[in-house]
Amino acid sequence: MEYILKNGIVYDPTNKIAGEKKDIMIKDGKIVGNVSSDAQVLDVTDKLVMAAGVDVHAHIAGPKLCVGRLYRPEDERRGVVAKTDITRAETGFSIPSCPATGYRYSRMGYGTVTEAAVPPLEAKHTHEEIMAIPNIDVSPLLLFGNNWFVLQYVKDGNLEDLAAFVAAWLKIAKCYGMKVVNPCGSEAWGWGMNVHGIDDPAPHWDVTGRDVVRALTQVNEMLGLPHSMHVHPNDLGHPGNYKTTIDTMDCVSDIEKNPSVIRDQTLHCTHLQFHSYGGTSWRDANSGAEPVADYINKHKHVTCDIGQITFDETTTMTADAPMEYDLYKLSGLKWANKDIELETAAGLIPIIYSPKAPVNTLQWAIGLELFLMINDPWQVVLTTDSPNAGPFIRYPRIISWLMSSDRRTEMIENGEVHKWASKRTSLPTLDRVYDWNDIATVTRSAPAKILGFENRGHLGVGANADVAVYDLEPENFDATKAANAAVVEDVLGRALYTLKDGEIVVKDGKIAKVVPSRHLWTNVQGYEQQEKQVLENIMPMFNRYYTVKFENYKVHDHYIDPSIEFKIDASK
Amino acid sequence: MKTITLNLKKFSSIALEFDELKPDDIYTWSKEDFEKYQVPVGNTRFPLSNYFDIEVEGDAEGPEDVKMILNGDMGRVKYIGCGMTAGEVIVNGDADLHAGAEMQGGSLKINGNAESYVGREMRGGNIEVMGNVREYCGTSYIGEWRGMSGGVIRVHGNAGKQLADCMSGGEIYVDGSCDILAGIHMTKGYIEIGGDVTRWPGGQMKNGNIVINGKLSSLLEGFDPEGVVENPEIEGKQLTGKYIKYNGDIGVNGKGTLWLNAEKNRDLL
Repeated sequence: MEYILKNGIVYDPTNKIAGEKKDIMIKDGKIVGNVSSDAQVLDVTDKLVMAAGVDVHAHIAGPKLCVGRLYRPEDERRGVVAKTDITRAETGFSIPSCPATGYRYSRMGYGTVTEAAVPPLEAKHTHEEIMAIPNIDVSPLLLFGNNWFVLQYVKDGNLEDLAAFVAAWLKIAKCYGMKVVNPCGSEAWGWGMNVHGIDDPAPHWDVTGRDVVRALTQVNEMLGLPHSMHVHPNDLGHPGNYKTTIDTMDCVSDIEKNPSVIRDQTLHCTHLQFHSYGGTSWRDANSGAEPVADYINKHKHVTCDIGQITFDETTTMTADAPMEYDLYKLSGLKWANKDIELETAAGLIPIIYSPKAPVNTLQWAIGLELFLMINDPWQVVLTTDSPNAGPFIRYPRIISWLMSSDRRTEMIENGEVHKWASKRTSLPTLDRVYDWNDIATVTRSAPAKILGFENRGHLGVGANADVAVYDLEPENFDATKAANAAVVEDVLGRALYTLKDGEIVVKDGKIAKVVPSRHLWTNVQGYEQQEKQVLENIMPMFNRYYTVKFENYKVHDHYIDPSIEFKIDASK
Repeated sequence: MKTITLNLKKFSSIALEFDELKPDDIYTWSKEDFEKYQVPVGNTRFPLSNYFDIEVEGDAEGPEDVKMILNGDMGRVKYIGCGMTAGEVIVNGDADLHAGAEMQGGSLKINGNAESYVGREMRGGNIEVMGNVREYCGTSYIGEWRGMSGGVIRVHGNAGKQLADCMSGGEIYVDGSCDILAGIHMTKGYIEIGGDVTRWPGGQMKNGNIVINGKLSSLLEGFDPEGVVENPEIEGKQLTGKYIKYNGDIGVNGKGTLWLNAEKNRDLL
């Protein structure tokens, strides 16, 4: 099928197109330079056209989601939509059902989403859920930061074997890249403890978060994985944690990037908002956004996503189990904990982010400060760490805040948010606004580049034909007006068209077609011998401590159909 | 005043759902509107007139002018009066799950027994059940920690398990006996049980009052006896007789109060 998207106003930062009236031509699922006269014309005259969105960090599939759905039936009844001829029934608000996850991303014009935390033991289940999510390709990141084998290799300083282990485990779990969550902290949680800061060792291991992040980042660059190390630093949510965050970013500053990759960074620091707090306790907490943003502005080896608070009743879920316990003690609501044997631990609690609450408002303001203080939009990605800071369906609302300083001022001055926004942060003094090019950067181009996708997040010839068209004429619309914030939110929440691999999956804000999501995974070549040796070496420990047999641990090919394999030649 | 009478003519073993037939939504409906209406049955819909003879008399300016009478065995009709804010609903027979759930105002009277979840998450209004209610009367939705916050439920028969789970306001009166864990997780409100209680009233209660006029078989360890009080006045209600006063549940640092009839519970003195 061939299409021409005619006369749209195109924003494609990767190809330096900022609001040009242009036709986008599509053939066989790719963007092309020419199409035949048979091509179907979609008249999108003066409408906003961008590549489909790319999400660098969300929790959409896996055991945490399943536990969340089981223990939050009260969330499942929110967001109930009846089935249609095309779609299945939808349930859930912060933890939507699998089909709803796909439909909702698709309606917002997104095409690729990263599932940010997959424990290897639960990778099978994660892929099963991805199979039930339609319309978005999913790149799962595998958890390594508290894995016993990793800790042992780090302790021994054995980077060669660690690299082989990572290569083998990405194949076994069919995952796209590496993720570290509270390195050593979730292991300490096995003993009812946590680590404090990057230099506090895990009990019984004598290995610190710094050791783990450095070793895995070195391995990531040795292998030349498409995505960089993806880190959730220690001390999430603790006042004064901005120092740990800067230390974490700085601890890899000397590590050389692999020359074969398209990304610029060696470390992606996720949900930075939760890691940019000043003060010593919640009584005197204030914003630590300025030093963090300042560090990022001066260092190109780091990128980040924000994890913006959206003021919703949502669910927090993370492999940072000790932090979830702390949060549970603060909130007094219900708590679920999940131990993942030799690999990690996860926790979940419901949470209500209220604009009337001082701490929640501070968190909201810090997120926006980071967006506005980090100068280069290529180093920032728009996320809510969905569902931790808010569900992903709120992205359009965050865009409306970023595009209108008037709207932000209105919220602060009208008392829509607590006065801590102005007393404890410098948000009121920041009058920067994002334009459509910046928005396209932080929602498409930058995340695609950070993840190492060559064919996503842009509209150049050869790119995947993942395109979003919104029912808004950017040349006749002033997004900086506070009164237009609601329009921005509404329009970006229901794409006029979303195309996935050249097929129209959303039309007029409604799902027009359901296509299976593809599993994106990285296949490292060139370490086969070492991988074999490493597997032989660790098998006694595996057999002794895991509750499953190794034969049942591996994700078999039928779990990842359809998939896209990223073959990486580690020798390059 | 508009009187809407639905006389059951065909019983469906698959439940009908009545949450769209609350006075707020139907006060303008004519007989023809009801006959046109397709009621949810299981995973599909059928005409309401398949199941009921429908009579409509008079006019209503608003939901408060509506009197809805359901005659027959409504034991497979769910969500009767669910979410209503005004008006009167009378069931001359049994009612199925979720009767009066999320009710905000008006009144619901069931002249029979009711299934589970009567008055779930109720915020206002009155519910009267002449027979028994099953489990989770006046509770929260499953998983939800915010339960009934207002209104009054009167049960003339017995109540099942976990009466008023997570209650944060309102009043519940049960004339008959009550099964385990009445007032579990409650944070505020008033529960009065006329008959006997099996076990564990007030588990993890943070605040509020539970009065038991019958015999309690098993008290939780988290309740500290304070002494015997004669003719106590509780939340403006004057009780007569001697009551043993307990404070708890201390397991969750609770400040709730449990009042047991001293005569019937001499073994605890």
